[in-house]
Amino acid sequence: MTKYFALPFLILIGFLFWYGTSNLIIINTDIARDYFLNQGYIDTASRNIVTAIYLDYRLLDTLFEAGILLIAVSGISWIAQHEHTEHNPLFMLDKLKIPELFVSIARIIYPIMLLFGVYIILNGHLAPGGGFQGGAVVASSILILYYIDLNKKTSINLILNIEKIIYLAFLIIAFISFFTRDSLFTNFFPLNQDPSIRSLFLILLNVLIGTKVAIGLTAIFVGFLKEGR
Amino acid sequence: MNDFLPIFLQLFLVAIAIAIIFHRNQFSIIILMSVFSLIVATLYMLNQAPDVAIAEVAINAAIIPLIYVIAISRQRELIVLDTLHHGQNLSIDSMQGEIYVFLRQFAKQHRLKINLCCDLTIHEKTLFDDMNIDLIIYQNEDNPSHYILKGKSSSVLLTSLQQAKASYSNIALEVFKEEVHYD
Repeated sequence: MTKYFALPFLILIGFLFWYGTSNLIIINTDIARDYFLNQGYIDTASRNIVTAIYLDYRLLDTLFEAGILLIAVSGISWIAQHEHTEHNPLFMLDKLKIPELFVSIARIIYPIMLLFGVYIILNGHLAPGGGFQGGAVVASSILILYYIDLNKKTSINLILNIEKIIYLAFLIIAFISFFTRDSLFTNFFPLNQDPSIRSLFLILLNVLIGTKVAIGLTAIFVGFLKEGR
Repeated sequence: MNDFLPIFLQLFLVAIAIAIIFHRNQFSIIILMSVFSLIVATLYMLNQAPDVAIAEVAINAAIIPLIYVIAISRQRELIVLDTLHHGQNLSIDSMQGEIYVFLRQFAKQHRLKINLCCDLTIHEKTLFDDMNIDLIIYQNEDNPSHYILKGKSSSVLLTSLQQAKASYSNIALEVFKEEVHYD
């Protein structure tokens, strides 16, 4: 019966959303857009303005975002933990019938997906994409592996340790600019350096974020996989 | 065409959202949610936000459905521990004996999938507390043709099991009382 109450709520939320966005034109000025379009590449050496914002102008926000993912992964693996050794932790999936077609296609698609994810991560400062998006693509290709090979075993503790180390490295690299440029949480190369060299910082941080997101989402999936037992 | 396409897609989104609310089969809902986020990603792309579109496709159209599939296939399972045939790898369909016929019929009636495992030797309390096992099959030591089923007192299925076993005289049902945890 609650389903029928959901429909008026849906309409109400839709109306509020429409009402909220119809007034958006008042605050929609061109100043910020023009500033980022003109100054983005000069300030951050990134062709992609989104990457310029989350890896340079607003790096502090990204630090907290990465921290939230770390907390989420830790929480899920804490809920899913078990004290005794597990004989066959994936015994639920053994009897889950996975279609042959899915497995065959997934075997062909898996390397392409992995390559595409790495491409998105490495080109984050030139084309649409970046660490988070590429990491999610890599994670979904790794998740498909669990459907192909049911006896795959993963240690959540190892993943958590790697994740913590990557987060620390991320913090340290973001902090270096305090010594080289006298400002916190920005590119550590000086501003008069060549853009191709300055973009190394963006690639480095994108790779770190991509790895962190990929193994974090894998850890969440493995946590759900083991939780039933 | 370019003016018409976003409006068409948005109307389609509304239709899919209503379908998700009223649909009954959970796996179909997962597919519908995946379609929903694909269309949303197309709309992001049409509004010149390719970064958001990639994130939407990767997270909501691929990873979340994969997690949902695992989580839902968990709920449709009746996990039974067999102490009679310890250490063998068996499937419920090939088993002979009254208890297995009863379980097969019960599972068919309630649309559950039976997961029979024979590879555990842990204390009963740990089994029920930590391992999420629904039922344990024992053989009556005095009379080998009699079986004892043991289940959790908090299990929802226990009352329907009680009713279903009325026509089977060789099967007894025991209830395992759980301790109250204060986490």
